[in-house]
Amino acid sequence: MDHSNVRSPEGAGDNASPTLSVTVPAWKQPGVISNHRRRVMKGRIVEVLAVLCILAVLLPLGDMIYMFAYRGLQVISIPKLTTITVGSASFVSGGLANAIAGTALLISLAAAITIPIGVLGGVYMSEFSNDSRLSEGLRFAADIMAGNSSIVLGYVGYLVFVLYFGWGYSAAAGALTLSILMFPYVFRTTELALRKVPASIREAAIALGSTKTTMINRLVLRFALPGILTGIILAVGIGLSETAPLLYTALFSNYLPSGALFHEPIGYLTYVVYVYSQLPSNGAHDLAYLSSFLLISAVLVINVVARVGLRKLSKV
Amino acid sequence: MVSALLGSSAFLFLFLTIVVLVIFSYPSFIVNGLGFFTSITWNPSLSGSVVTVNGIRSMSGASFGMLVFFSGTLLSSGLALLIGVPLSLGIAIFLSEVAPQRISNIMSFFVELLAGIPSIVFGFWGFLVLGPFLIHSVEPVMAKYLYFIPYFGGKVYSYGLPASGLILALMTVPIIASISRDAMAQTPIELREAGRALGLTDWEVTRKIVLPSARTAIAGSIVLGLGRALGETMAVVMVSESAVNILPKTFYYPINSIAAFMAQTLDSAFTDPTKMEIYALVELAVVLLLITTTVNVIARLLVRRGFITSAEHVVQV
Amino acid sequence: MLEEEVLMNEENDALRGERQPLKRGEPSDQSAPLIQLTDFSAFYGDVEVLKNINLSIESNKITVVMGPSGCGKSTLVRTLNRMNDEVPGFRIKGKILLDGEDIYAPGVDPVLLKTRVGMVFQKPNPFPISIYDNVAFGPRIHKLAKNKEQLNAIVRESLQYAALWEEVKDRLEKNALGLSGGQQQRLCIARALAVKPEVILMDEPASALDPGATYKVEELMVELKEKYTVVLVTHNMQQAARVGTSVAFLYRGELVEFGAASDVFENPKNPLTEKYIRGIL
Repeated sequence: MDHSNVRSPEGAGDNASPTLSVTVPAWKQPGVISNHRRRVMKGRIVEVLAVLCILAVLLPLGDMIYMFAYRGLQVISIPKLTTITVGSASFVSGGLANAIAGTALLISLAAAITIPIGVLGGVYMSEFSNDSRLSEGLRFAADIMAGNSSIVLGYVGYLVFVLYFGWGYSAAAGALTLSILMFPYVFRTTELALRKVPASIREAAIALGSTKTTMINRLVLRFALPGILTGIILAVGIGLSETAPLLYTALFSNYLPSGALFHEPIGYLTYVVYVYSQLPSNGAHDLAYLSSFLLISAVLVINVVARVGLRKLSKV
Repeated sequence: MVSALLGSSAFLFLFLTIVVLVIFSYPSFIVNGLGFFTSITWNPSLSGSVVTVNGIRSMSGASFGMLVFFSGTLLSSGLALLIGVPLSLGIAIFLSEVAPQRISNIMSFFVELLAGIPSIVFGFWGFLVLGPFLIHSVEPVMAKYLYFIPYFGGKVYSYGLPASGLILALMTVPIIASISRDAMAQTPIELREAGRALGLTDWEVTRKIVLPSARTAIAGSIVLGLGRALGETMAVVMVSESAVNILPKTFYYPINSIAAFMAQTLDSAFTDPTKMEIYALVELAVVLLLITTTVNVIARLLVRRGFITSAEHVVQV
Repeated sequence: MLEEEVLMNEENDALRGERQPLKRGEPSDQSAPLIQLTDFSAFYGDVEVLKNINLSIESNKITVVMGPSGCGKSTLVRTLNRMNDEVPGFRIKGKILLDGEDIYAPGVDPVLLKTRVGMVFQKPNPFPISIYDNVAFGPRIHKLAKNKEQLNAIVRESLQYAALWEEVKDRLEKNALGLSGGQQQRLCIARALAVKPEVILMDEPASALDPGATYKVEELMVELKEKYTVVLVTHNMQQAARVGTSVAFLYRGELVEFGAASDVFENPKNPLTEKYIRGIL
């Protein structure tokens, strides 16, 4: 922007008390008051719009929760939760025991794999890595993996575990695929939680003669634990909610998991929502509603635990 | 060190993904060539006979083209952003500037809850509630009154673009809103005070001081949201028909996205004895991987200035 | 000017009895104080941070507010332009009259008030935009200029009056953050002047600056009082003695002493004041 015309032509721009050309204070100038009213009006309109925006988003959320809670609670019963699904297509009855057990198994396996790798990896990034090119690259890779479409991951799982390793549709294939999905979240959140531990604490420990590893184990991890746990819990929530990675790795099964990790398909709740919602039988629809309800409840609990638990633990 | 090795699994996973997808898409790339990227036909031609082209077996008459799904992905994500970005910014402004602290905290919780809802459940709700609502109450009205705008007149067929776009919008809102809210809340208080002391109204402080200060993070969050919308699978599956071989002629035509199509079609591809359809689907996966990776890299460059990426934003600390 | 000095509560009472609310736009009576605090108390929740302050601030003078940490001087100054309204739990009792009108009256708009009472902060806080845009910020918001030439004139004059023009006139489009601390603070002063206030509040404006920059800001303050009314918060007694016309000494929320600068520093009437001046409070 060319400001050469700001200088006064007479060049009388010295500092000694020049007279301001308009000495009337701003609020006395005409138009400022009415303009001001307009400005305040604009602000009010924006406030209303902002409220409308949040309502526009809360409405679907509320409808979703209400609908699935209502139908889910209509359908729920002990038998429904403890018997397995029977039949398929136009005649479905029974319960969700197979799906619930399958989800539980898959998540547990996936967590068992992801947690050590993710947490230790995060520890490495935060404590040992010196922010080198390597660590930047790792973060980059993790971010790319996190941003990937879940079906792409499902394809990878199918091609690698089901086909190439020859495991067939199995809990192992599903769990491993899930763990690849969950890994970036645990990895990054652990690193973040560890970085939040103040440097002063680390320095105090070193100054007292502690070795680096002891300091980390005893002190830093304890401080960062709430953050790490929250990351794990939230990653579990993400794993619970996934369908696509499991479609072609775990397939589905009407039977309770037998403990075989290979060559045996396994059921899971999200599949029930996906497929049974489209089947012609009312029994199937009931199961789909119930699964949705269970899934939403699980997510709700996870969110509450993560938020509240984190706040409480952080105050220690 | 053990942890170094384990941490490097990030590389391992990424590398594995890329290698596997490239290997299994290669046959399709050879056979379909550049036509894959320009053709709207997806024809596995399963009733034909097997032929060998360039040493690779495929069904005669089989030809695979991704254009329908590619455009479906772009259209649905574009619509999602068109609706989602203003909505998210409104919410971010509400949470950061308008609402008192307590209400803001409660509302933030609900926004995060929205983020956690499984996408299949979202899709189920879309199938039960949003889709029917749109095709019975909204789209006919739109078609009736907006017929003079190209693309907006005509018959309403089934769920298609509006439903997908809206569902995707709802799924990107938490990402954009929460990152933007955090960025806005971190505006240095001295700048806000300076503005206030000059006689700015609250909205003017927001518009002229807070939003400019947060603009890089906001832009990054939008790109992250785009990445999410592009890759979203199950929600779109539930509200789109298996539209194949036609590009949408109007706003109300059924559409299909790359991710949704991949999820829907793989099992039928198993019946292809030459496996060519599988390879073609994997080639689709490569395309999708490239798209989401590019978008994420852009987001990372924007959000790089000491802020957070989508993986970290899972934890709202 | 001795007869216009207002010492303590008794004379305030007398003046208060005669006060008539003035209509906007009429010139104020030169002999009456521009800002008048009457039995003014301020609370953060249950804590009373300002106790029954009676204070007169005169036009075209520099009124210094001093006291030990936590005495409420910043709070006091921020009540004058209602910057404290944002603080949760903030309430007031009593009145503050600007030109005869209570600024805390129900109908008063705090935003408009800030165009009459401007503020400069302890830490310079220019916006991360160009020097020109910083100064033009206020005038643009309040639409004080009808066209580009007028805006240019306002910017130029404000920068001249803030003794910054010569240093920046060739680089107005450069980002303000590239200026030194002292220059940034003078820019903030220019920015406040551009809105043409009547009163300028300065909350320890030089405490973050080096001595050379401090000197320039103090010089500026003395010039400013020709056209404006300045209320200065400082903990630097030498500065107060150098530039102050009147000094108000605050201790734990109470106005302990008020008078001409020379009087307060050389013949403090209150033992607390004396202790503070001697550095043993």
